[in-house]
Amino acid sequence: MAFDSSRTVAASRNQQCGDSVQKSLKLSRLLQKESVDLIKTYKASQGEMSELFCKVSVNNVPDPNISGLEPSEKIASIYTHLQEFFPHFEWVYKQQTDLQLPTSPLLSDLRRFTAGSRNLAYLIKPFYQSLFPNVPLPEGGPTTLPPPQNVFQQKVYGCVVLKTFKELLSNVSRELRSLKSQVCRRRTHTNTLF
Amino acid sequence: MVSAGEMLVLAGLVLAVAATRDPPGKPENVSCVAVQEKTTISRIFRCDWATVGRQTSDVPTKYTLNVVVIHIRNYSVSTEGTHTQVEFVDTYPHFMNLEIWVEAHNMLGKIESEHITQDANSFVKTNPPSDIKVISEKYFPTSPLMNWTQPIDKSYGKLKYEIRFCTIGSPNWTYVPKGDIATDIQSFRLQSLQPYTEYITQVRSQLGHWSDWSGTTMKTAEDRPTSKPDVWRIIAEVDGKNERRVQFISKDPVFANGRIITFDIKIQEQKNDNLQWDTILVNGSESSDGQRVITVLKDMLLADLRPVRLCVTANNSVGTSPMASLFISAKGHEDPPVKGLKVWSAEGKLWLQWTPPNGPDLSEYVVEWVSGDQTDWQRENKNTRLTAIKGNLEGFVRYTVSVYSIYSGRIGKPASKEAYLKEGAPLEGPVVRLNDKPGRNEAELGWVEIPLHRQRGFIVNYTINYTGGGETHEITVPSNTISYTLKSLSSNTKYDTWINASTVRGSAQSSTHSFTTLKYAPGEVESIVVGVCLGFMFVVLMTMLLCLYKKDVIKENLWPRIPNPGESTIGNWSPDYPLKAETPKENCLSGISVLDVDVCDGKSMFEEDKACLPLKKDKYLSEEHSSGIGGSSCMSSPRQSVSDSDEGSDMADTTASTVQYSSVVASNGYKGQTPNPHPQQAVFSRSESTQPLLDSEENPDMMIQESSRQSQHFKQENPAEIHLLEMDQQQQQQEEGVESLDFCPLDEESEQTKSSEGQSAASSYMSQREGYRPQ
Repeated sequence: MAFDSSRTVAASRNQQCGDSVQKSLKLSRLLQKESVDLIKTYKASQGEMSELFCKVSVNNVPDPNISGLEPSEKIASIYTHLQEFFPHFEWVYKQQTDLQLPTSPLLSDLRRFTAGSRNLAYLIKPFYQSLFPNVPLPEGGPTTLPPPQNVFQQKVYGCVVLKTFKELLSNVSRELRSLKSQVCRRRTHTNTLF
Repeated sequence: MVSAGEMLVLAGLVLAVAATRDPPGKPENVSCVAVQEKTTISRIFRCDWATVGRQTSDVPTKYTLNVVVIHIRNYSVSTEGTHTQVEFVDTYPHFMNLEIWVEAHNMLGKIESEHITQDANSFVKTNPPSDIKVISEKYFPTSPLMNWTQPIDKSYGKLKYEIRFCTIGSPNWTYVPKGDIATDIQSFRLQSLQPYTEYITQVRSQLGHWSDWSGTTMKTAEDRPTSKPDVWRIIAEVDGKNERRVQFISKDPVFANGRIITFDIKIQEQKNDNLQWDTILVNGSESSDGQRVITVLKDMLLADLRPVRLCVTANNSVGTSPMASLFISAKGHEDPPVKGLKVWSAEGKLWLQWTPPNGPDLSEYVVEWVSGDQTDWQRENKNTRLTAIKGNLEGFVRYTVSVYSIYSGRIGKPASKEAYLKEGAPLEGPVVRLNDKPGRNEAELGWVEIPLHRQRGFIVNYTINYTGGGETHEITVPSNTISYTLKSLSSNTKYDTWINASTVRGSAQSSTHSFTTLKYAPGEVESIVVGVCLGFMFVVLMTMLLCLYKKDVIKENLWPRIPNPGESTIGNWSPDYPLKAETPKENCLSGISVLDVDVCDGKSMFEEDKACLPLKKDKYLSEEHSSGIGGSSCMSSPRQSVSDSDEGSDMADTTASTVQYSSVVASNGYKGQTPNPHPQQAVFSRSESTQPLLDSEENPDMMIQESSRQSQHFKQENPAEIHLLEMDQQQQQQEEGVESLDFCPLDEESEQTKSSEGQSAASSYMSQREGYRPQ
């Protein structure tokens, strides 16, 4: 009986695990698509030479790569990397507020995109905590924002941030796909052993 | 200080008040939706719910919508209505779990609805798919390909689709099974559609809620006809010949699968005929009301005793249909018809029912309906007993409905009935007229039937109305009547008449026709005239007869004879009788010969008596007309009077108009003259006048006798009668002495003497028995 109930609990948890991963995966894909649209909107809002902005390298932009070997580490890396970008999103939004008209669609798109990104982080956190309840999730270190910039630098900076985050989302999607099979099946297998 | 009783009262009041008020009812059927806005989902999240229980204005219920984005944020909005909305911050929480409930609270309590916990996408309603195209391919006429554009990026979720289609005008949709449609697709190939048919195709998508339908119309490609053409015939008799005019007509096959371009026909009149196919081109217009176009294939004259078979195929741009054939039997050799055919209108259709015939090989029925020169038909299964006409029938139009039994292609005898889909009152009344001139008390009305297209129903009766002389009458006659005789009419009266033609739905009135009856019946005037004329003629005749019978009297009274001195001659004669007065003799008196001459025989008398007239002297014939004195109105020819004393006393006026002369008696003095006392042989000359002499002059002797006699008779008798009486008496006397005219002067004297004595007693004019004859 104990064995059976553990199976039921395990199956339920497996279902929840899969749903969580699935939702996170779907949201990351949605954000990926929205990032593509956002970058287009951004470029269209910056005037001439906007194609060159995203090709310039800028310092102080967070790393888009996911680190770690264990699933817990990867999930934690996803979460922390997402969190690192949020201050930069706000900084870009603030700069664009000065550069764009209040009714510019770029501003609303930036707000929506930022909110969606936060929602992704909000999905990852409980997922991690459900899988690793005894391992605290790192919140990430202080964010270093760039120094005051001129308009050109602001425009370049904004494009680089969006482009880098888009790359992050791609990495997140890839990792989540692999984590789904790793974490959710592994858990089931572990439970049945016990 | 409140006493215990007061407390109890207050508590009771509170309970009473509470009893009239209810706690809030639990909100039910909470449903929320977030609609698509351009390419994303709107942040507005709207929810509806249903209230339960009484809502009173003095205890209002407040509802609070609670939406929790799990692990992120709570939203709450209050309202007193049954719907409200929340606005998510910055973005719709895609793929996030939402917990939703509605809380109802009033002063008596609060209650929550069921909590709904679902993925946020389950509340999303996307726009319908756009840019829908349906492509019908030539080689797949029954399987067009449908394409569309998904309403939202698939990154928002995999969209499900639902597809349906129907033919234009049909209310019934055909749904593609959901299991046949994959998710997240943008095209689908429909199946089992009819070729060359116009369809409406629609598709909708689902992320959470189903979107609205969006669609387009399309027409599938042509295919070869897969059913036979529907062939029929119209037969008309040819006057004076043993032939029938047969017109073969055809409708397109039910499954024409395209536009029929031509019909190929073959007519077989003999068994072994091996005729070529004839191609009939079809006029291109297609019916727009769903009814198939009727094409005339062939017109021909067919002998009554000859059968014929027609074979037909229909062609469109892709291929040829199966062959249909129709066999027309020789006249009089048709198979038996159906029995007991009934036709009636119900529920906006014309229904038919019949009993099948007894013939073998019955294959199907054909129901035909004809109106004017329009013919249409439909085929029915051989097991059908009750059906309705499927064609477009018009109300108020008379149809001749027939059912034909078809025996392996042979057409049997029809059973027919006339019917209306809908009857109404006629559009006009009949044309009223008089069939003949009206009589005195009757008149014959006639009327022309209302034209068939104006009747709008079966005429059940006619109502004849007529008014005249202050009275109105109404007569109802059967519908097969076209004339009626009005009787018991008043003569010489104007009548207004009109006729109402009635169907079961109403009636129509004709125009008013007026006529006036005769004052007199035909022939009445003529009969009156004839009667009057006959009566008048009778009166005239009787008068004439009376005149003839009483001509003497009339003559005597109206035309006394007055001699014309101008025409008299003096004649000498010697009297051959003594002059003494003698009793009146015939001879003397025969000087005044009285001759009865019949008025009508005056002429003959004149001829007869002329020879015996005792006239010695020259005769004097004087012609006197009937207008002379003493002339009779009865006389129509001139009278001839003969006066000649020599020839005798009978001076008969053979024409009955001659007044006898009386002999002049010389002895008598005339008017006191003293005649010669010595009578001698006197020769007198006197004028031959027709004026009668006074009796005193003629017969003085007789005067005394006569005066007394006449005085007796005079008072009693009509003078004319007296004269006639005396004349009759004297006639006999005169006949004896008629040969010679005796002139008795003496007698005259004596007579004059006598008469002078008698004259005082009698009138001065005495009847002259012998000498005076009434004219």
